[in-house]
Formats: sequence, C-alpha cells, structure tokens
Amino acid sequence: MVPNLLLTLTGIIVVVSPAALLMMLGLTTLFRYKLSEVAISRFAQTCSFTGLLASLCILAFMLATGVRDVPLEFGNWVSLHNLTGTSEIADETTSSHDSTQHATDSVAPHAGEFHLRMKFVFDRLSIPFAVMTFVLCGVIGSFAVKYLHLEPGYNRFFLFYSIFQLGMVWSSIAGTIETLFFSWELVGLSSALLVAYYHDRASPVQNGLRVWAVYRIADAAFLVAALSLHHLSGSGDFAVLMGDGDWPFGKVSITEQQALLVGSLLLIAAAGKSALVPFSGWLPRAMEGPTPSSAVFYGALSVHLGAFLLLRVSPVLEASKTLSGIVVALGLVTMIYATMATRVQSDVKSALSYASLIQVSIIVVEIGIGLRYIPLIHIIGHACIRTLQLVRAPSLLKDYSSLENAIGDHLPPSPSIWQRWLTPSTRERFYRFAWERGYMDSMLDDFVVQPFVHLFRMANRIELRCEKFLEGPTNRNNPVPKDRRRN
Amino acid sequence: MNAASFSNSNDAFAANKTDRHETAEVERLIEKLAELLPSQGPITAFAFQNPLQGLEDQPFIDVLRKVYDVYGCEPFLQEGAYRKKFADGRIPVCALNEIIAEDLRPNANDKIAGLIECSELRLSMLTNSINPGTENELRWELGGVEAIRRFRLDMSHRDRENLVDSTRDWVKSDFQRTPGRPLSVTRQELAATVQKSIMRFHLGNPAALPESSWETICLSLLWRISRSRIKSVPRYRSKSTEYLRPRDLLLNAAKDDSDELVHPVLGRFCSAYLDQGYAHWQLPRRDLGFFNSFLSLFSAGGHFSSRWLRPLGKEVTRIQQAGTTAIECLEESLLALGIQPQDREAFLTRSLLAQRGWAGMVWQTETRPDRVYVPSPKGSLVEYLAVRLLLDRFAIGWIAQNSLNYRESLDQLTNYLTPHVSTDRIGESVEHRAYPILQLAQLHGWTPRQLAELSSPSWVELVREVESFSPFERRRVFHLAFERHLTHQMLDAISARAELPIAKPDIPRLQVFTCIDAREESFRRHLEEVAPDVETFGNAGFFNVPMYFRGAGEAHFTALCPIVIKPKNWVVEDVVLSLIDSDRQRANARRWLGTATHRFNTGTRGSISGALLTAVLGPLFTAPLVGRIIFPRLTAKMHRTARGFMATPPVTRLRLERSEDAPAGPDDEGIGFTLTEMIAMGERALRDTGLTSNFARLVIILGHGSNCLNNPHESAYHCGACSGAPGAANARALAAILNDRRVRSQLLVRGIAIPDETHFLGGLHNTATESIRYYDLELLPTSHVRDIKSAMEIFSRVAERNAHERCRRFETASLQFTPLEALKHVEDRSEDLAQTRPEYGNSTNAICFVGRRGRLRGMYLDRRSFLMSYDASQDNQQNGILARILAAVIPVCEGINMLYTLSAIDNSGWGSGTKLPHNITSLLGVMDGAASDLRTGLPWQGVDIHEPVRLLFVIETTAAAMQMIINENPTIARICRNGWAQLAVLDPNSNRIQQYCDGSFTDYVPLSSELPVTPSSGDWYRGQRGNLGFAMVFKEKP
Repeated sequence: MVPNLLLTLTGIIVVVSPAALLMMLGLTTLFRYKLSEVAISRFAQTCSFTGLLASLCILAFMLATGVRDVPLEFGNWVSLHNLTGTSEIADETTSSHDSTQHATDSVAPHAGEFHLRMKFVFDRLSIPFAVMTFVLCGVIGSFAVKYLHLEPGYNRFFLFYSIFQLGMVWSSIAGTIETLFFSWELVGLSSALLVAYYHDRASPVQNGLRVWAVYRIADAAFLVAALSLHHLSGSGDFAVLMGDGDWPFGKVSITEQQALLVGSLLLIAAAGKSALVPFSGWLPRAMEGPTPSSAVFYGALSVHLGAFLLLRVSPVLEASKTLSGIVVALGLVTMIYATMATRVQSDVKSALSYASLIQVSIIVVEIGIGLRYIPLIHIIGHACIRTLQLVRAPSLLKDYSSLENAIGDHLPPSPSIWQRWLTPSTRERFYRFAWERGYMDSMLDDFVVQPFVHLFRMANRIELRCEKFLEGPTNRNNPVPKDRRRN
Repeated sequence: MNAASFSNSNDAFAANKTDRHETAEVERLIEKLAELLPSQGPITAFAFQNPLQGLEDQPFIDVLRKVYDVYGCEPFLQEGAYRKKFADGRIPVCALNEIIAEDLRPNANDKIAGLIECSELRLSMLTNSINPGTENELRWELGGVEAIRRFRLDMSHRDRENLVDSTRDWVKSDFQRTPGRPLSVTRQELAATVQKSIMRFHLGNPAALPESSWETICLSLLWRISRSRIKSVPRYRSKSTEYLRPRDLLLNAAKDDSDELVHPVLGRFCSAYLDQGYAHWQLPRRDLGFFNSFLSLFSAGGHFSSRWLRPLGKEVTRIQQAGTTAIECLEESLLALGIQPQDREAFLTRSLLAQRGWAGMVWQTETRPDRVYVPSPKGSLVEYLAVRLLLDRFAIGWIAQNSLNYRESLDQLTNYLTPHVSTDRIGESVEHRAYPILQLAQLHGWTPRQLAELSSPSWVELVREVESFSPFERRRVFHLAFERHLTHQMLDAISARAELPIAKPDIPRLQVFTCIDAREESFRRHLEEVAPDVETFGNAGFFNVPMYFRGAGEAHFTALCPIVIKPKNWVVEDVVLSLIDSDRQRANARRWLGTATHRFNTGTRGSISGALLTAVLGPLFTAPLVGRIIFPRLTAKMHRTARGFMATPPVTRLRLERSEDAPAGPDDEGIGFTLTEMIAMGERALRDTGLTSNFARLVIILGHGSNCLNNPHESAYHCGACSGAPGAANARALAAILNDRRVRSQLLVRGIAIPDETHFLGGLHNTATESIRYYDLELLPTSHVRDIKSAMEIFSRVAERNAHERCRRFETASLQFTPLEALKHVEDRSEDLAQTRPEYGNSTNAICFVGRRGRLRGMYLDRRSFLMSYDASQDNQQNGILARILAAVIPVCEGINMLYTLSAIDNSGWGSGTKLPHNITSLLGVMDGAASDLRTGLPWQGVDIHEPVRLLFVIETTAAAMQMIINENPTIARICRNGWAQLAVLDPNSNRIQQYCDGSFTDYVPLSSELPVTPSSGDWYRGQRGNLGFAMVFKEKP
C-alpha cells in the first residue's frame, strides 16, 4: 500500500511540477507582478529538477519491481452521454459540473459517449520520453536564464517556456487521447508564440503565423481522429484502445478499415507536428526565436512529437498493413527531400533544422516497419545531440577555425556520391529544387491557402451584398468602412 | 569570364555610342554609391569603421539630417531617452541654453509674437513634453478628456490662478456685459467661439458658473482659439531629401510590400553565392559570376515556385539568348520601371541600401579579395544590383496587377500612383498642430485673450517657430547639449589634472606597453596604483609591426594590422627544433582528431550516417550538454586539460628575419623582415611613444585579445588595431626586434641608447579573463628572473583589481564581490556557453588622449579613454612623429567610436540588434533568425551601456602644430573639420586647453577647476553601476 501511495505521489509530482511553474509565471504576469530574473530562474530550475527527480524515481521503481504500467487518474472533466445531434452543446455545459463523481471509476466504454478524461500513464514509452523532456527543458532553461539576461521579454520567454514544458511533459505521459490532444495544443500554442517572440520585426510574426496555421491543419486532423476513436471504441483511453497489453504489446480492437481511417488522420497530425512532407516548410522558418528556444523546441523536442504520437498509437499501425506502408513511404519521401535540402543550406540554423528533419523521417520509417524500441532510442539520442549542436550553433566560426587549424587546410568539401554521378544540368535542377526547399511553401500557398482565402473573400462579398440588401436603398450614401472592404 | 562578357556587350553596343557612355556612367555611379554601404567584411575579422564613412566629407549634422530618409535609421536617441537624461541631471539646463543660443545667434532674445523669447520657447519645448505622438495617439489622448479639461500637472498653482482669473475677467467684461455693442466680423467669430465654449455648461450667465468649471472653460477657449486660428497658417515644411521608390508608392497604395517578396529570394541567393564553404553543395556555376549564376539557376524548372517568380524563367531565357550583360539588364530595368534620369541616383541609392548588409558584403568580397577565402570578381556589385532590379520588376508587376488591378506597362506606374499617395502624415491635422500651442499656453500662462488678439502675422510667426523646431531639431539640441556637458566635464578634469605636476617614476622598475584601447586605461591605472615605480605607455595594438601571421598549429595567415593597411610581410611561428618530434606527433594527433570530428559533424547532418551516429552515440551527448551548461567551469577545465595533451609544444620561436635580397612572401624564403625593416620598426615604436631614455631593466610589451564561447562577434572583442585578432604576435615580434643586438647598435647610432641590462618581453593581456601570457620566457637572462617574478606578482594583483572594477558594470555580478571573487566571475563569464556579455569591449569610450602619460597619470578615467603615448618635446620641428601617429590614431579611434555610438543610437538600424536570434550564414556574418539581411555593426549586448557621444581627442601639442597636421592630412581634415570627432589641444607646458571649432582653435575656459580626490580607484567606484565622474587618485591627500 505504502509503495503504491508513494508511487502515486511521485506521479503527481511529475504531473504537477511543470504546471506549478506555469501557474507561478502565469499568475504573476496576469496580476502585473514583476518577478526578478533571479526569481524566475530559481522557479524554472526547481520545477524542472523536481519533475526530473520524480520521473527518475518512477523509472527506478519500475525497473526494480517489474511493473510496466502505472496509471494516474484525474477523472472526467467533461462527459457527454447519449450524443444525439443538436443537444451536444447543452449537454456539455450541464455535465461539466459533475466531473468529480467520475473521479476513480473505471469507465465502461459505450459507443456514442464522449469524455474529456484526464489520465496519465507511466510506461516504457512515457517515462523515457518524460525524462528526456525534463533533462532537455531543464538544461535549456538554465541556459536561457543567462542567455536572455536583460532582454526586455525575459518574463514572456519563460512564460512560454513553462507552457511548452507543461505541454511536452503532459504529452509524454498522457493516458488518454484527450489529454494528449490538450497538451499537444499547449505545445503548438507556445511554439507559435516563441517563433513570433521578436514581435517588433515582421518576419518572426509571419513565420509564427505560418507555424500556427500548419499546426491548425494538423490539430484538426488530430481532433477528428480523437472523435472517431471515441466513436469506434467508446473511449479515448489508450489502455482501453490498445487492449490489455502494455506498450508496445497492445492490440487494437478495431477493424483494418477503421484503423486505416483513424491512422491516416493521426498521420496527418504527426506530419504537421514533425514537419513531414508536405508540411516541411515551417521547420526552418521556426528558427526565428532566441537560440535556446529554436534549439530545443523545434530542432530537438517538439519535432519528435509527431513520431511520439505514432509510437503511442502503434497498435493502430499494426492493425493495417496499408497504413504502415503509407507511414514508411512518407518517411522515405521526407528523408530524401530533407537530405537534399540540408545540403544546399548556407546558414547554420536552416542546415541543422533540415538535418533534424532527416532523422525524424528515419524514425518515422522505423516506426512504419514495426520497430518500437529502436525509434525510441533514436529519438532520445537525436534530441540530445541536436540540442547540443543547436545551442552551440553560434560557435560555428570558432569550431571551423579550430578544425581547419587541426587539419591544416580549409575543410574538405564532403564527397557526395550523387553529386559526382549526376550530370551538371541535372545537378542544377536538383540544386534549384533543394534551394527552393522543394517548393513546399509555395505549393501549400497555392493548394491550401489560396482556396481558403478565395472562399473567405467570397463569403465576405456575399455578406456585404446581403448587408447592402438588408440596409435598403436609403443608406446608400453611407460608405462601408474602409477596412471591411479590403479582402 | 567577366571580362569576356563585358567585351561582348561592347561589341553589341558599338553602334550606339551614347549607350556605352551612359553604361559607363551608371557603373561609375554605382561604384560611388558603394561607399554608402556598410564597410564590414567577414565577421571573423571585425573591422571597426564608421558606418557613415562614405559621407565623412560632409558635415556630421548635415549627414544625420538625411540619414533617416536614406538609411531609414535614427540619427539620435528618442526624445524620451534624452528627457530622462535631463531629469537625471545628465543634461543640465545651461548646456541646453548654450546650444540654443548658438543656434539662434543673434536672434536668441527676439520676442515671438510678442509672447515669449525665442530661446525660452525652444527651451520650454525641450524640457516639457508638449508634442503629441501620432495622430492616433493624439485622438486617444483627446478622447481621454483630461487633456482639455484639466491643466497640466506641472503647472504651478499661481499660474493656474492667473490664467483662470484673466479668462474670467475677459469673458465677463468683453462678451457678457455689452450684448448690444456691435462687433467686427472677427470679433463676432470670436464671440461665437467663446459662446460655444460656455454653452457647453448650459449656462447663460457666466457669473453663476461654479469656480471649478473655469479651468475647463479656459482650456476649452485656448483649444478652440488655437484650432480656429491655426487653420489659416500654412504648415512649416523643412526641405526634404525624401525620394520614393516605386516600391514605396506601391506599399502606400496597395499595402503590399514588394521588398517582402524580393528580399528572401535575393538574400538566400546572396548567401549561397557568397558562401565560404558551409553548404555541402555549392551554388552550381558560381564561377560565372553573380549575374550569370543567378540566370543559370533560374533558367530551368521553377514551375512550382512562388507565383510572382514563375514568369521570371521566361525572361531569364530571353536575357540569356540575347546575351544581355548585367549592366544592360540593369538599364533595361531602369527603363521598365520608368525611372527618370534625374531620379536615377536616388533610386539606385535606395535600391542598393534596401538590403545593405548583403550588398555591402558583395562589395567587400569584390574589393578586398585578400580578406576572404572565396572572393567575388570585379563588377559583382553591379551584377547584384542588376539581379535586384530584375526581381523588383517582377515583384512590383505582380503586386500592381493583383492588388491594384493595374494592367498598363510598368513604366507608367509611378505616374499612376503618385496622385494616390496618401498624405496623412504625422502632424497634418489641425488638432495635431494646435496641441503644442495649447500646451505652451499653459506652460507660459498665455491667456485666451492674448491668443485671440494676436494678429495673423503673429500667429504665423508663432506657429512657424514652433513647427520649425521639429523632432529632429529637438533631438539634435538634446544630443549636442549632452555631448557638450560631458566634454566640459572631461576638459575641466584634464585641465585640473594638468595643473598638477607630471607624475613619472624617476627610476622605473618596470615599463609596460599596452594597446591604446580604452579597456587598458583601468589596467594601466591599477598597475600604477599597485606599483608606483612602474611606467606605462600606450600605442596602437599592432605596435607598428604590420604582418600576415601564422601561428604554430594554425592553418592560415591572419592579417595583424588595422584594416586600412595591407601588410607587406609574412611571419610564422615555429616550434623549437628540440621539440620537433613531439610537435609532429601532436600535429598528427590533432589532424586525426580534427578529421574525425569533422566527419562526425557532417555525419550527424547526413541521413544514414546520421541515423547510426545519433541513435548509437546520441545519448552520450547528454554529458557534454549538461556539463557545458550546468557546470561550465569544470567542463572548461577538463577541455583545457584534454587539449593540453595535443596542443603545440609550449616553446616556439617567431621566424622574423629574412635576408635583405629575398622578396617578402608566404613561402619559406620570403618569411620575415629584413634587418633594415626591423631597425625602422624598432625605432618607430620607441620614438612614437617617447621611450628613448631612462629604460627599465624589464620592458613588457602587451598585446591584447579576449576569449569567449558561442559568440559570432568574438572578433569584436579582440584588438581593433589587429583587425579583430589578438595582438600577441605583434608584441612578441617587437620585443624580439628590440632585443636584437644588431638593432640596438643601429639604434645607438641613431641616438637611442638601450642599456645592455634592459630586456624586452612580449605578452598577451586577456581582456576577458585578465590573465597575462608571457612569450619567450626561456630566452630571458637569468639575471632578470627576479624582475619577471616580481612583475608577475604585480600583474596578478592588477588582474584582481581590474576585474573588480569591470564587474561593477555587470548586473549579474554582485557589488559586494571581493577582488578575488570578481576575478573568478570574469573567468567564468568567458567560459560560459550562455554568456552573451563576456566583456564590454570599448563600450563607454568618449575621449582619446594623445600625450605623455605623466600628464594624466593617477586620473580616474572610468575606462572611457583611449590613451596614446606621445612626447611633444622629442618631436621634430615639422611634428613628423605626431603627424604619423595621428594619421592612424584619429581615423581608427573615430571609427571605433562612431560604430559604438551609432550602434547605441539605433541598435536595430546601425547595429546588428540583439544577439539572441543571430544565425551564422555563409561563414561570413549573421542574420536575424531564419532569414534576414546580413546584420552588420555591433550587437545590443555590446553597446547597452554605451553613451552615444562623439569622441573627444585631446592632444598634447600646440594649436599651430595641430593646425598644420590638419591641413596636411586629408583624412584628419575630413574628420575634424566636418565634426565627426571633437578636437582639443593641451599645451605641453601648461594646462591651457584650446578647442577646435569651425576651423580654428579657441581657448577653453574651464567651468570648474575642482577635481575630486580619492585614495584609490576602488574607493571611487565602489557600489556604483553607472558612468562615473573623473577623479584624482592619491594614496594620501597631498
């Protein structure tokens, strides 16, 4: 009993410590209380360290006792019964009050019901991921404490940082698809805000918006997938969804077609978050924030979140061979694309971001061919090494000069097989393709953004026309406000 | 290749002579405009030069007047920043008055509209915030009601009463009591205005009004009268240099920015073209030059690129088939965009400066091929501009077509758009113009009656006076007053110090040479405080030994001299023969490890290799990651120890001498200086600084460098006189030269007797960690071991004290640190991956003293002064020594100062902004984040404590001598005459100071002759973070 209680407590610490940081920074910001740099850094470091220690304790416990799955329930926060057509919204508002009564009951799956159930789970997938998140976030937090010294947005940075850390930790240990979605949103929100950190210049804001827009597409797919899962299995709980085996030995109880449908949606979500083709354009653009945020957040952590999602729902992949095939294909295409793109980049951050993308796509391939532990190890190794590289990116010139001194000459251009095999004109075509970053952005603009913009503009025109019609002929002299006429 | 394409163009155009003539003219024009570009080369050899160097032939203030229009950067700090300095007492009223009086002379006391003296009006506009911000801000303020209901809070009680009383009397007497009296037309209008104001209170009888509402009535009257009268006064406009590119017109009309389309594409292409070897795939056909490689890249494919770029492929093919050259293409673009011949220069200037970081780098790699690994051929800047205008054409066409539905030919676009350019600029609305009058009326107690009864010409006079004192003028006055005040303080202090006797040890125990650098000021001061029998000298940090240098274990030669000099000699460092085997082993080990590291680095960026490396070795990298960030000191120590096993052996020699007949060159025979050259350099070093007699037993020559981690701007912390490299080799070379018996015997012939027991020693002062490294210690005679030991002991104490003084500037360093803790703190800073301020470089520099150290010795100059040693009494009749010193010192120090000053004034414009999002690109410079212009200038973290002022040169010589030097040296003349730096001379025999002003020297009358006295530097600065005043350090009160 005591060990179990202790374990639960430790689990709660893991869940609560990043949330405490957010509360602390968020509330002080809300009430305009200005924390000193020292205070902020102490809070940030304490929370990361406590969280890390707690998750290491759980890891030790799991290793010692052989328990492989420790759930932590926070009950239903919203639960909708008898979902039928129009009463949805009314139901939601009324039933959100009785959240406490569902605190501990094991929810029996009923198709057609919806729960927003907060549940966390510590297993072989979530614990390594959580430990890695705490280590990297903690280290980067310590780095940023000094790096951002005297920066006007110091407090803002750490506020976003705390949201990000919370989102990452909760994503890693999420036990239901709703919890995962919620944390996933936090990561997306803080990422977009961090990209747009320097809001006095135009391009960070534009790029932040772009990241945000891509995330929206991915999140829409995720949401639909989550709802479909609920409909199919009656619950978003991974434990129910994946049958009785602990990760990674779960088996899903849905048919192959259903798995393909849900899996494809989840794949879109993962592709958006992990910058797989065709969403790759945002990754180099995310390098707008201060070096520590672009380093760990996009280059090393959140870019793996898509792969993590695929790992988490891996039983779904196993249920459909076609789906696994698609995953492998998408990974391979992205890998080839990113390999080409990274080779032409002449600035260090873009080159590193595409290098990250290569590894992420290889991880996706590994997941697609049915590996489970290897991609997990790959994620952790890659995240560590890339964080170090990105944090040290400003040292590039010094590193180059010391390498050149050691070698005694200018660094040799790395021999590339296909550069030697291709004819010059083909090479030029490849170069242009890579230089334009695979035209990924302009194609998204053409095929996704433009149709939307046209649609909205059309809606605007129709609205204006209706307005005019309703206003009648008397008010014709009243011009429509200028800003509404545009677009 | 380039030459060939140009000759082709000449053939094609041979028929049309005027065209060729014009072409050459455009090329010349672009070459001239290139001087406006930032002069910063590769960031690894940071050059401190005035960002406005190309405009130094015009007066400083005139240039600043137009920089906003040309560069889009601020000429001064914001008004609020100056007003804060005013509130803090850093700008005294007397300084403001002084500047205002000079501006207005002789009309300072003229009454404006019979209300107020001109100078008083200006002072009031400076010291009070009376100008509304933008139109929207004003609307917000007026909406907030307070502005026209309640008096300003800073009005005195008496003023309020006076104003209210007079208003009440006027209203009651003039408008109420005599309703039947006939009124003139203006009077009627006025009556209506008054009536309207009163009507708002729904009261017919003013006598019944409550006392409190008279305040509002008064304000409302003032407001209404000002508004109604100002309508008929034409707006004052200063002569504008503004020119609008088609892009600006389009931005104004369509709210779409064509630069936003062009810059990412052009920037990325520049980055690829200029890449010094970072990208794995180099730009194909780079050897064709900028223009042709661009065409070649854009000729194929591109069906899916951004929509505005898609038609480019066709045009590129046309250009290639027609064999159009870059300059022809540029002229086609000028025609296509409809640029009139008279606008050509303005248009090309703006186009060139729109992305000036990249354009400047193209120009640098073209004109200084010796400073880069991959240079650009001649004419690259013209080609850059041709590409830029080609892209402009498509971007502008695309926006015009899509946002404005404009389908005519592009050359008519300017004509089409000009009438549409909206004119709602700041200060156009009546409210916006009347607001300052309302504020002034309150500040000076102008009653509604006075304003109402002013004649129309008086109104014009008043409004004109107010409006002509524009934001620029106000900031200018503030800035000059701030600068003037500081100059007074500096000159007063120097004058007071110069009255005291020269301080100089009779028998110096040790003599130390350092760089002229402002950072060495405190170092020297502490050295003299710790050991009063030490004598110090300052000289430019390359010690007049310009050379290309390659250290042992280095791959390339580095130029160690100011950027303006091209060295003629090559020097290498060799490991001594007895250690040659160990050196070879270590070099092999380094090469092996270097290759492995390089392979690993590129491997992790690859696909399959990356997968293996990251998956297998990745987790191991948590160790260096955590170590580097959480335990930086320990990790740095481990690194040092590990590197020690492979570093080059510690005993090395400089290969300094070559035979008289061998030509200098980087090959074996050409390395080194001839004996004649060495004698000349040795003599010059001693004569320049005035050390020609009374030599100590030990003379230490200290170059300086710095070290820090993770900082692309590291080079900016090294010695500026060595092109942003450490100056150790120069110091070491000079010491070796002066120790040479043959040199000494020749110097004896020339009148400099260096005693046999005098030994010179080279060293390096690390300005970040305060450590000192000594070179060639093994050559030191055993008789001098005791001397060097005691010197080392002194230096270690100086290091602690200097670190302590520096720490007061670092917010993260406690003011309660002991000197030892301070030293540890600065050491930590330089080993910390996350530290963006390892040191503050030459920040806060404000003064440059050229003269004998003894004149200023003991003076606390707060690290604000460059110090150059020069002894006027040893100079010849023609002042040849001073002339050659100043020829280097004035442009170099002025360049450093202007770069700091402008970077501090507008950091995101002249400087490179905050370091945090910097992204190294092409191995040449930094961008902001994912993609931006190449950022030049100093980062915010390097200038946040700098106070922008022009450097004050104080030179110990006579006015006549200085005047002669100005007349003879065009560079010095340009800088001093046009006011890019301030200049004063200190008489060598008295404390008379003469200031240079408008081409002549006038006596400076000190405002005070007091110089505070402090027992030690530490006592003066303890507990203070900000800039301090000057003081005199005496051990005990004299």
